[in-house]
Amino acid sequence: MTISKSTLRGSNRIKENDKRRIVDETSRKRRHRKVMELLESDNYHDDPHADLVMSKKVPKFEDNLEQRTSRTKKKERTAEYYQIKYRKNFQQLVDEDRAEAEANRRVSYMDIQCEESPMPPRHFCAVCGFLAKYNCLSCGTRYCCIRCMDTHMDTRCLKWAA
Amino acid sequence: MDRSKVKRRGSSIGPNQPEPKLQKEININAVVVDNGAYSIKVGLSTEAHPTLVPNCIMKAKAERKRLFIGDQINECRDCSGLYFLLPCERGYITKWDVQKPIWDYIFSKKVCPIDEYPVVITQPLFNFNSIQDCMDEIFFEEYEVSSMFRLNPTDLAYLKYARDHNLPKTTPCIIIDTGFSFTHIIPYINGNKYLNAIRRLNVGGKLLTNHLKDIISYRQYNVMEETYVINQVKEDTCYVAQDVKKELTIAAKSGIENNIVRNYVLPDFNNIRRGYILENNSDTKENEENCQILRLNNERFVVPEILFHPSDIGMKSMGIAEAVVKSILCCPKQYQEDLSKNIVVIGGNCNFKGFKERMMAELRSLLPHLWDVKLYQPEDPITYSWDGGKSLLKMTDFKSCLVTKEEYEELGSMIIQQRFNSWMTDNSLVEEESQEKNQENYRYLDWLKGKTVFGKEDPIDVKDECEQEDSLLKAQTNSQDTGSHNLAENVDNVQQPAADLELKTKASLKNIENTIVKEFDQEKDQPSSNFSMQTELFPFGTGSYL
Ligand SMILES: [Zn+2]
Ligand SMILES: [Zn+2]
Repeated sequence: MTISKSTLRGSNRIKENDKRRIVDETSRKRRHRKVMELLESDNYHDDPHADLVMSKKVPKFEDNLEQRTSRTKKKERTAEYYQIKYRKNFQQLVDEDRAEAEANRRVSYMDIQCEESPMPPRHFCAVCGFLAKYNCLSCGTRYCCIRCMDTHMDTRCLKWAA
Repeated sequence: MDRSKVKRRGSSIGPNQPEPKLQKEININAVVVDNGAYSIKVGLSTEAHPTLVPNCIMKAKAERKRLFIGDQINECRDCSGLYFLLPCERGYITKWDVQKPIWDYIFSKKVCPIDEYPVVITQPLFNFNSIQDCMDEIFFEEYEVSSMFRLNPTDLAYLKYARDHNLPKTTPCIIIDTGFSFTHIIPYINGNKYLNAIRRLNVGGKLLTNHLKDIISYRQYNVMEETYVINQVKEDTCYVAQDVKKELTIAAKSGIENNIVRNYVLPDFNNIRRGYILENNSDTKENEENCQILRLNNERFVVPEILFHPSDIGMKSMGIAEAVVKSILCCPKQYQEDLSKNIVVIGGNCNFKGFKERMMAELRSLLPHLWDVKLYQPEDPITYSWDGGKSLLKMTDFKSCLVTKEEYEELGSMIIQQRFNSWMTDNSLVEEESQEKNQENYRYLDWLKGKTVFGKEDPIDVKDECEQEDSLLKAQTNSQDTGSHNLAENVDNVQQPAADLELKTKASLKNIENTIVKEFDQEKDQPSSNFSMQTELFPFGTGSYL
């Protein structure tokens, strides 16, 4: 397993702080959405077999299977058949559900999502995970001390804002 | 029962069970499938335990000649950098080219052949029509099952709980299912799901693992590609704190005073196949010397905290305990007290140490003091729903619920889906005066005022109270994003900070109620109308990805 120690530099950037760009609300929202999407992602890396796609060496699901049952195989269909016939992304499914639910006056997938909490949010340091008192002027990220602020400035701050 | 004896092709009544004579209970056998997005629990109802098969196909870097379906991953020598093909998106099957081969594998002789048995399979709440169409086609047309029934995993859990505890249909229960993709909170009243009070929290095990991956990658090693390993790290080391503030204080200490920090030996897939906690924090055995050690401190409890406070990562959502309370208070008044006596929690996230205790403590503190609060967590919260399949099959009228292949062919998908969808669902209760509901909300907020956000009793100081007011204002401002028609009213409130908290509370709740904060709506980038007030909107950086 190849894991490399990440580098956390600690140079002092406080003086530069004033000059730093302030990220507007829209960008902050966009960034937050991106983070939330990544928290839902299946993989962070590319398919390690991607280069096999064009060759005939691509492993097939069927190779892993014995004959399923003693039944006639005439109705057996490929996985691709179903994928093509029922191909809908999640957003499409949600939209369809909402439209149908409205027409039939029933509760839909979107209706049951939890409301916002009336309790105040807590704030943790993005760097070390302990309680944080301060937030970054540029991007709003929370940090707990100057050391963590430095780390934040040197690593993640504004990197995502592009 | 010998499976080979049951072979009658084209039978219209499914498995040929002897007709019930004087028995009160008809016992049908069936293949029960709890089709979770993380693991499929499958087995014949006569078996004591289901077989657990991961609901995914994996690709290994080292083995380029094959794919690993489900539990075949145990044959994989090197599980580093595993690439996952998951059939589900937010808990719903969208990738049929992944789900189908997994089912083919599961229903092969290797795991659990269907033969002539009826199939009972779970589907998530509000399973979308086209997903159901595809399931129908696969099971009836390709697998040629004699008969099938589909229901939600919480239905099975409810049936099992009611049966095991001898509860009549009139006893309401609330089932919390906290799994891989999400957490559902579903009250059952008179044996039916009470749709108005159902809640879904978009936090599940997948999000927690990904978050842990993210913070470890930022603080120690780059493990972004090691979902498989970090999921095990999560299972082995994470727990739910009873008092987060206290826990954080301990975690901040060094040396022997910190009894939270753990060193975790990461697998190298050479000598060590599965990682583990280093028993004595300093000593390493010989074969551990070349291994990479992960140091886990506050990560151990901060990660599961997201279940209780999604706002920790900037999600605008209640936590699991709050949502349960909210759900109970959305039910008709006469059932509320009984609901709080029959709270059942299932799903993989229950397995975090301390989960049940924290859940109980929060529910106890959020629900009215005079109410009796009882929380039941089964010994195995993962297989509880599958077990519920047995309770389902013992229901006297179950046989008539099964949809046969002939019925599918005659009536078509739409009719039979209505049968599945309306089962244990009471739509009549949906149309109700919302006035009462709003009243409940005010009461709910009254309780919340003064509640601590750190788990245990914790006197709120003045600053906290200010923050609370702030957050209410913020909530108000946020909901303005979707429509600025009452902007004036909002500005008014800001200009009079001394205005009665109660008033603001009501106004902000009304706004929340009106918009039911929908993530998808927020996707549309709308220029914020009053920027200056929102500077702290996303205070916590989950960390962007470099
Ligand atoms: Zn810090
Ligand atoms: Zn920053």
